Amino acid sequence: MFKKENNLAGYIFISPWLIGFLLLTLWPITQSLYLSFTNYSMLDVGAPTWLGTDNYVKILTDDSTFTKSLTVTFLFVLVSVPLKLFFSLMVAMALVKSLRGMNVYRTAIYFPSLIGGSIAVAALWRNMFGADGYINHVLSWIGIEGTAWISNPDTALGTLILLNTWQFGSTMVIFLAGLKQIPGELYESASVDGAGRIRKFFSITLPMLSPVMFFNLVLGIIGSFQMFTAAFIITNGGPVNSTYMYALFLYEKAFKHYQMGYASALAWILLVIVALLTLINFVASRYWVFYESDGGKTK
Amino acid sequence: MKKRYAKSWSLLTLALLLLLTACSGGNNNPPNNGGSTTPSTPNDNGGTSGGATELGIMWWGTDARHEATNNALNIYTSQNPNVTFKTEAMSWDAYWQKLPTLAASRTIPDVLQMDAAYLQEYVTRGQLADLTDIDLSGIVDDTVIENLKIDGKLYVIPLSQNAQGMAFNKEELEANGIPLPQPGWTYEEYFQWARDAKAKLPDGKYPIGDSGAWADYNNYQVGMGGEPIMADNGRTFNLDKDMFIEFYSTYAEFREQGIVPPADRSAAFQENDPQADPMASGVVMTRGATTGSVSALEQLMPGKIGVTTLPTGPAGGGWAQSTIFLAVNAATPNMDEAKTFVKWFITDKEAGKALGLTRGIPISAENYAELEPTLEAKDIIGKELYDLALEKAMPFFPVAAGYSEWADNYVKEMEAVSFGQQTIEQAYEKLNKAGMEIASRAG
Repeated sequence: MFKKENNLAGYIFISPWLIGFLLLTLWPITQSLYLSFTNYSMLDVGAPTWLGTDNYVKILTDDSTFTKSLTVTFLFVLVSVPLKLFFSLMVAMALVKSLRGMNVYRTAIYFPSLIGGSIAVAALWRNMFGADGYINHVLSWIGIEGTAWISNPDTALGTLILLNTWQFGSTMVIFLAGLKQIPGELYESASVDGAGRIRKFFSITLPMLSPVMFFNLVLGIIGSFQMFTAAFIITNGGPVNSTYMYALFLYEKAFKHYQMGYASALAWILLVIVALLTLINFVASRYWVFYESDGGKTK
Repeated sequence: MKKRYAKSWSLLTLALLLLLTACSGGNNNPPNNGGSTTPSTPNDNGGTSGGATELGIMWWGTDARHEATNNALNIYTSQNPNVTFKTEAMSWDAYWQKLPTLAASRTIPDVLQMDAAYLQEYVTRGQLADLTDIDLSGIVDDTVIENLKIDGKLYVIPLSQNAQGMAFNKEELEANGIPLPQPGWTYEEYFQWARDAKAKLPDGKYPIGDSGAWADYNNYQVGMGGEPIMADNGRTFNLDKDMFIEFYSTYAEFREQGIVPPADRSAAFQENDPQADPMASGVVMTRGATTGSVSALEQLMPGKIGVTTLPTGPAGGGWAQSTIFLAVNAATPNMDEAKTFVKWFITDKEAGKALGLTRGIPISAENYAELEPTLEAKDIIGKELYDLALEKAMPFFPVAAGYSEWADNYVKEMEAVSFGQQTIEQAYEKLNKAGMEIASRAG
């Protein structure tokens, strides 16, 4: 009898969030969809001119920077995501053991991630990998003359991948939580059956951890596609566009060259790409992600 | 039961209404002024009410400039008690990131600092007010005013004199027995000087830096008697193939011979960064500098630097003119007050004293004369550079509206050349094609 009113009250209770969402999220999103079909520039006083699909056609057929930045971004995602997953899983495995003072270790290892995405770290990275940076200094002790890592087109992307991998903290924490969920009995009975450590890892840990792995994979891909701060601060896309990430390209189009309409179209193309990849991931997950609640059946 | 619901219902609706009105009330206020310092009691309503005016003003710069400007504004308020200011001061980068957003939301402050590099872009989009009717005779040179006009109208008030030249590491050149660069040197002399200096410099040191910016090459093309790359407000585009190839072939040769640093070293340089500045790091002996920026370099290597002109051609080299201005928002409700204020800003004696050289050599000769006896070494070197540059100076060539992306790509294409990823001809073809396209759209 009161159901309808209950709903209304509920909506009113969430209205601060709802209003924020509608005005500050949904409205800008639809606005950017509209703008992506125009030549809108932030400085123009009049209304933007409707271009139809011109922006999209130009991006997809006649923009070598688009192709270049997309290639760089794919390369970055392809290398950095698996690397980060692997690395954070290894660290999580090391930290799941119960030793005395383990909480201190965990905090210490997680600590860099608290400041990981910040500009300060990006600036630090620039100093470490510069021609006269610490890395080359250490290398010189063993007689190796290092290159100027961040200003060499062959190695610049590598330093960004390394930075991204180093920011493993939150992925690692999620793995850690996942590892703790795995019942100890499974390992015990496997030991009784004579399984070694490697066998246990592949037959128990990995399958039991696969939903967490899947979660980290999807988040990692989405996050890496939006990689911006480091590319902006450390290399500014260079040298020779070798670290010209898609998000940086989009940002420069919008806020440096004032082509807001074009940049909006770029943003929507990125959304479609990431959505498609996520969809593929979800479909593919049926073949490798194991949910205990499904009774252990792979679909 | 039902009644109780109705009661809480109306209460919530009321709360919601309050929330909404609070929101819209916030929107009516003048744009945010995060991190601002208000020099005197502001009129909270903004705009004109009861004879009192609050002018919004925004500029970029260093802390010294912020402080000096706030002092000058206080002087203005004490002379004109009905005018107060709402100030926003920030760094160069932050400024040019914020201004487009303000332009988009029609909330540009009444008075704003403007730079020659961005001027055309903002004028073309109708954001700046026409200031032609402000009488500046006797304060600013007529030719300076004429040079600043865009399609016959003046949109900005010049604040200071600026010039482009070169700085060199006097101490180290002398220590290595290398003759110091002479003002007015030609490109031929410049390149020969570099070859000779290389022979006397120890390994890992380079006489001159590599060249990758369009303005650098433009100085060559125009200096040698060619057309400017962008002219007629971006409607004509001229990239001379022969000169382009000759200029960059010289640098390619220099890169091979170690007269300029290798590409990966050049890519890592950051001007005015104590460790990464090409000169302050001790790696390169010369670099381009302006009156406005050379003081920063002088502070990094005090007493060690000298200044000279850019290399010149028969038509000259470098520029000497105002590049930093005050402009007025085209849509300001306080047009008269804003115009009065911008004129005062460059003429008033007290303001001149308060501002000092925080925006370069003051445009008003009278105000500068008052300051001259008190100048420090870092200021004097800027003035010296200006005086040297004046003789051979050509006009300042800004990036024409619509070319900002082209100018960025120029650097990237030339970088690809220096890393050996493409030939000079390939870079030329791409840049010429892109430039021609922009010009045809602008026409």
